[in-house]
Amino acid sequence: MASKIRVVGISKHYDVGRKAMRTLDDVGLDVGAGEFVTLVGPSGCGKSTLFSILAGLTAPDPGGELFIDGKRRALDHLLGGVAFMPQRDMLFPWRTVLDNAILAAEIDGVPRRVARERATRSLDRFELRGFAAHYPGQLSGGMRQRVALLRTFMFERDIMLLDEPFGALDALTRALMQRWLLEVWEANRRTVLFITHDIDEAIFLGDRVVVMSARPGRIKFDAAVPLPRPRSTGMVTQPDFVALKRQLLGIIEEESLKTFEAMNQPLATDA
Amino acid sequence: MMDRLARVAAPAATVLVFLLLWQGSVDAFHVSPDKLPAPAAILATIWHGRIAFASAIGTTLAEALIGLAGGTLIGIASGVLLSQVRLLERMFLPYLVASQAVPIIAFGAIIIMWFGNGISSKAIIAVYLSFFPVAVNTLAGISAIEPSEIGLLRSFGAGRLAILFKLQLPATLPAIFTAIRLGASLALVGAIVGEWFGATQGLGVVLLTAMFDYRVPQLWAAIVLTGATGTALYGLVVLLQRRIAWWQAEA
Repeated sequence: MASKIRVVGISKHYDVGRKAMRTLDDVGLDVGAGEFVTLVGPSGCGKSTLFSILAGLTAPDPGGELFIDGKRRALDHLLGGVAFMPQRDMLFPWRTVLDNAILAAEIDGVPRRVARERATRSLDRFELRGFAAHYPGQLSGGMRQRVALLRTFMFERDIMLLDEPFGALDALTRALMQRWLLEVWEANRRTVLFITHDIDEAIFLGDRVVVMSARPGRIKFDAAVPLPRPRSTGMVTQPDFVALKRQLLGIIEEESLKTFEAMNQPLATDA
Repeated sequence: MMDRLARVAAPAATVLVFLLLWQGSVDAFHVSPDKLPAPAAILATIWHGRIAFASAIGTTLAEALIGLAGGTLIGIASGVLLSQVRLLERMFLPYLVASQAVPIIAFGAIIIMWFGNGISSKAIIAVYLSFFPVAVNTLAGISAIEPSEIGLLRSFGAGRLAILFKLQLPATLPAIFTAIRLGASLALVGAIVGEWFGATQGLGVVLLTAMFDYRVPQLWAAIVLTGATGTALYGLVVLLQRRIAWWQAEA
């Protein structure tokens, strides 16, 4: 598989008072074209920071490198070039479902009328039929996520960064959304980086699962998921799935423990 | 339905009871109309002078509306400008605040000298009073927008103008309208105070002449009508707010 996006030596620190808080430490990652990579790790390990850097919104410390399609690029090269979906859906309450969905396309210069037509055609696939004229305040959490996803898909870029898109959903809705996302993804096979806290979700969705360490975040573990596509619900009880899950649980528990211990050190507390 | 009815009926009942008590005590204690006329007498005075009153209201309302519109536009423009250029905020915000510490009364005479005793001088005073809350709320509203929301738009390739028109301004509209509501009352005060410095017509003129001529029922009629005008102006802004910035700010 050709490499779509490769980062080498990405570090990031923030100055907190006189101390430097290191968020990312020498992160390297290679994602193939059309690959679905899930990223897990304890909270505060810098996953979202990594996304923010990839999206070109945050400048990393000097020294990192970015390659797109094998070519070396400036680190903010992807600003405006990836379909980025942050943790919160960030729908605008004054825009209807349809107009929220076309926001990214509209900013991208697609005429409103054209964008609206395209979004209208996708409403079915995003299970939003009949809700075009509703406002976000009238929707359930799952529907809001689908609107945010439609907005992300409407911004037609071959790389998607999805930051815990299903984090706030209940288990049942989440399972439905996962299967639905895979269906939508199979249709056009864009390159996806997907952050989650949920190990089942990470294995079920991903071609590869990447685990980040406790802060400062490093790539701790990187494994291919030994399951065929298309994925089905029954797979979560297969031995391969369970074995990988056990392995991941072990690694993540170890990292979470470090985070927990760091939080409980009386001198290192942060507000 | 019952709920809506009660929401209108309950305050209306308060006013009715208040008016009846007023009328009843004036009648019962034989209060001189020179001190406090009965509501019926005030209504009669209003009805009697309805044409003159209507023209006075028209003049003052026009001044206040022009002033409020101008103040809103200037307020939004300066709020946006200060929010976009940090240096401008540092340079001008302190003086903007200080400008409000100077009572408009101090400037009234000068403004009449410069702009004449027509409608424009009053509108200018109304602008001066109403632009400040709008400017401050615009600036505060834009500053309160989450950086992550701006980041989202930037990730879509948005420049400053797109961020301003697709996020910052619409997100700030509810705060702007709150300020316009405040500005509406201030604009009316500005128009009336302006009329006191020099004018030939308007509610302020009616108030002053009634006072100098010691025509108490006339004075009370003007007070009631000024109150009604203020309420109507405020109501108009609320109506616009419900149409334009109807959504609740989200947590």
